[in-house]
Amino acid sequence: MDSITTTLDAVCLASQLILESGGETYRAEETVERMCQGLGVKHVDVLALPTGLMLTLTLDAEDNTISRIVRVHTRSIDLNRVDKCNDISRRVASGSMSAEEALRALKEIKGPKKEKRLLLIAASALSAASFTMMLGGVWVDFFVSFFCGALVQLVLPPLSHLRVPPLISSMIAGALTTLMALFGTLALPGVTIEPVISGAIMPLLPGLAVTNAMRDTIRGDLVSGGARIMEAILSVMMLAAGIGLMLSIWGGVRA
Amino acid sequence: MSWWVQLIACGVAAASFSVLMHQPWKTIPVTSLIGIAGYSVFLLLGSSTMGFFLASLLIGVLCEICARLMKRAATLFVTGAIIPLVPGIGLYNTMLYVVEGNYERAVSVGAATLLGICGIALAITMSSVIFTAFHPKRQKEAPHEE
Repeated sequence: MDSITTTLDAVCLASQLILESGGETYRAEETVERMCQGLGVKHVDVLALPTGLMLTLTLDAEDNTISRIVRVHTRSIDLNRVDKCNDISRRVASGSMSAEEALRALKEIKGPKKEKRLLLIAASALSAASFTMMLGGVWVDFFVSFFCGALVQLVLPPLSHLRVPPLISSMIAGALTTLMALFGTLALPGVTIEPVISGAIMPLLPGLAVTNAMRDTIRGDLVSGGARIMEAILSVMMLAAGIGLMLSIWGGVRA
Repeated sequence: MSWWVQLIACGVAAASFSVLMHQPWKTIPVTSLIGIAGYSVFLLLGSSTMGFFLASLLIGVLCEICARLMKRAATLFVTGAIIPLVPGIGLYNTMLYVVEGNYERAVSVGAATLLGICGIALAITMSSVIFTAFHPKRQKEAPHEE
């Protein structure tokens, strides 16, 4: 039988990782419930929010109850982590993994990521460029957009290292994209600005946040749903503000 | 621009966006194909709110089916597949009109963009609700877990 703290640690870590990596809050709650069922916990109550997690376990017949609050500070998107946590919780629920094994596996997931920066920059550049093509760009636009995407992915990770708030960095990203695209129109003939900017900002839009928000709201998690919708709206507005700021500065300089 | 360039670009964009979101490698080709399917419906229907809704509904349903088949969370597929539909061009145009001081057009383009986003969100939610409600496996398994 696993000790109380190991069980609690494993359960908390699993749902904390899900919340930090862009999973839905209901998924975090479900993970806790399923893992607890598999580990033979008598009763569990859990409340997950985008910014934190509270849970109470009743472990045995003597009604020993234990609670914990976990704060979630950073929220980035890493679907691979969500997938791995899901897998572990499934195995714990089916009884083929003990709390200790789960904890070890989860710590491995949490551990420092092998940063594939070059891959991410390439992916960002390629997706920005292909979105531009998709939205009716021509080959010159493709190149400009490619550099926009690469530049954004080059700048964003250092900003989050410096603990710049995500909303501010999304404004910076919008402004940088626009600036790059505007320079593109100066440097290369035949560049149309519309598909370049709208393509390059596509990877920056909070698509996952919106869909998660809707899923949470429909399932009755009104607090998390509302918070996520707020987060998504704010991040779109900041992005738009970045674009607008740069467009008007540019217009002012050229006039 | 001819439609096949758009569709290929859509597939590449969805796939590379999935890489950016750290999606597991195995799921990326499927995501890309679902994205292409959804975007081709969108191109056929034209960029109306209904077009956004129906295309997203198709994406949502396909993603839920793939999630069941591959035993992974549906979110993994939806994130990458839905992104080509997100109206980035509407957002940019809205901002451009605001900067130009053309508020009438800004409001009309902004409202259309917002409706498109609502259509996408509604469709994704509907597909997810349908599949959770009629999930035969879970209903069978539930008594064993008690």
